[in-house]
Amino acid sequence: MINQVLQSLPYIVPELIVTGTLCLVLLLSLMMRKKSDLLVFVAALGLFAALAVLTSQPFASACLFFKMTVIDPFSQFFKLVILFAALIVVLMSRFSDEVNQIKKSLGEYYFLVVSMTLGMMFMVSASNLLMMYLSLELTSLTSYVVVGFIKQSKNSSEASLKYLLYGAFSSGVMLYGISIIYGLTGTMELSGINQVLAQGSANTAMLLIGGIMLLVGFGYKISAVPFHFWTPDVYEGAPTTITAFLSVASKAAGFAMLMRALKIMFLDSSALEIGNEFWPLIHGIPVVEILSVLAVLTMTIGNLVALWQDNVKRLLAYSSIAQAGYMLLGLATISNEGYSAVMLYFIVYLFMNLGAFYVAMLISNTLGSENIHDYKGLGRRAPFLSVSMAVFLVSLTGIPPTAGFIGKWMIFLSLINVKMIGLAVIGVLNSVVSLYYYLRIVRNMFLHEGEKEEVAIRYPLAQQLLLLCLMVPTLYFGIFFNPLIELVQFSVQMFGIK
Amino acid sequence: METLSTLTTPDWLFYLFAVITVASAAFVAFTKNVVYAAFALLFTFFGVAGLYVLLNSDFLAVTQILVYVGGILVLILFGVMLTNRSISVDIQSETLKFAPALIVTAALLGTLAGFYTVTDWFFGGPGAEITATSTAPNIGNALVTTHALPFEVASVVLLVALVGAAMIARRDK
Repeated sequence: MINQVLQSLPYIVPELIVTGTLCLVLLLSLMMRKKSDLLVFVAALGLFAALAVLTSQPFASACLFFKMTVIDPFSQFFKLVILFAALIVVLMSRFSDEVNQIKKSLGEYYFLVVSMTLGMMFMVSASNLLMMYLSLELTSLTSYVVVGFIKQSKNSSEASLKYLLYGAFSSGVMLYGISIIYGLTGTMELSGINQVLAQGSANTAMLLIGGIMLLVGFGYKISAVPFHFWTPDVYEGAPTTITAFLSVASKAAGFAMLMRALKIMFLDSSALEIGNEFWPLIHGIPVVEILSVLAVLTMTIGNLVALWQDNVKRLLAYSSIAQAGYMLLGLATISNEGYSAVMLYFIVYLFMNLGAFYVAMLISNTLGSENIHDYKGLGRRAPFLSVSMAVFLVSLTGIPPTAGFIGKWMIFLSLINVKMIGLAVIGVLNSVVSLYYYLRIVRNMFLHEGEKEEVAIRYPLAQQLLLLCLMVPTLYFGIFFNPLIELVQFSVQMFGIK
Repeated sequence: METLSTLTTPDWLFYLFAVITVASAAFVAFTKNVVYAAFALLFTFFGVAGLYVLLNSDFLAVTQILVYVGGILVLILFGVMLTNRSISVDIQSETLKFAPALIVTAALLGTLAGFYTVTDWFFGGPGAEITATSTAPNIGNALVTTHALPFEVASVVLLVALVGAAMIARRDK
């Protein structure tokens, strides 16, 4: 028995490297409290090493640790997104005045960011409800603490407490759902649940209740309406670096978990035909209806409330709720095409959303404000920054030639292919609404005169380079998107399903 | 449904522990005094430990008493009593929006209870009959074989919780 554990170990080398990194960061911070640059270096190096090992095993596909986790192109893809986001966030944190003002706790900060990454990596590969819950808790626990990292700030502490209360509640509901599903099927392993459900003996109504309770946990992680109430306050109060991390990596991990659970648990593999766009689902569970309603609610409410926001971080919080809505549309198609469209969207979203938050962070470093009215006249004072912000926002809206257009286009295309025209129309209408609030920021930066003196703001070269690293892909993938499409079509494969 | 005469001793014990658990949990939720709530929690934990015993989970029952009653509850009591002194505001818990909450929870309870009775629950596969042996060796084996990964991840979770709690509690400057 112990052999299987040992044989599984080589497959989780990236996770092991990340675990080693977090221990190292903790020890280093205890020994050398003053050297924060060393911590950044060690954390970034560890994440980079994990990334390198990950890309060296792209075709690995196996079931590990007695079906607790799996390794497959799907999980490898999401680990790639998460590790890359973590790497960028660590570098961002190096430039954040907000984070660096608390010199005493920097060691814990990087430790917690790396642990959060570890939790997310286990989330995307978990194939057992127990493992899903544990890794979700690892991610959540770390986020509660780092959200309240700036103790002097009342907003930050309030955000942390709110996040903790919502998180505890939703994970409690999720556990209850897991216990119901276990009580019905006698297993916590996803493919085992699928087998029992395929026999059709389980009580559908109870299964629906359990499934919805499980969905509460996932919905909270991806901040889908109506489980989104924590999002604006937490995103506004948390340090901007953490907001960026939560909005990209945490959401990616939650989506990956939801996608795997949906497909593995509810797919009727006996009726599966090769070349069929729709997956046959086990009867009686209205998966498509539930997802469609969630998607429409999420993007509409996110977009409509974003119209009234004046704080850029809060605006981007509602925008990220809306973005989750578009991604849920892709899930609602219940097809490989929809899934790969969502995965493509995540690559694009990684660059544009991290970029938007990065610019917001740099601006608040110098202006000390996140208010949209203080962005007036920035086009002249910091041209490079403003132009890249405009690129990110245009991409978030989904206008060509940016990568955001390709992401949205693929999702709408997958909807049209499975004849869900109505949902596609609602999605397009929502994009039009979102244009207004995204361009409000751009308009303030370029078309309005600043009230204060017009002094040019200079940013160090390293900060501009990181910005370039985020902006270039946003434009590049808008034109040369074929490699991305090939990547996601390959990565949509999950272990145990053709 | 069983009639009263068919109830065996374990059944009686189950109902006893269930009543203790639910009644004390209700007291925790409804009392306004936080110290009373903490003490009532003691009975909830004990009641759950009793339920574990009836489920043949001896190891879980002992752990429940050691960890929850012996450790966590004592800490909660210390926390409540110490903070009661140091800040002038009385810590009280309140029940807000009683009527809407009652309607929602009653509806939820009704739905769940209704479906619970009509559902065919999973009663273990073949060979799952109850044995009177200790569960501790099996749990120990599972932790290093089938459940090795969750066990290790749980250790990272605990490390994170420890560091995070220390960071939150530390006084700056």
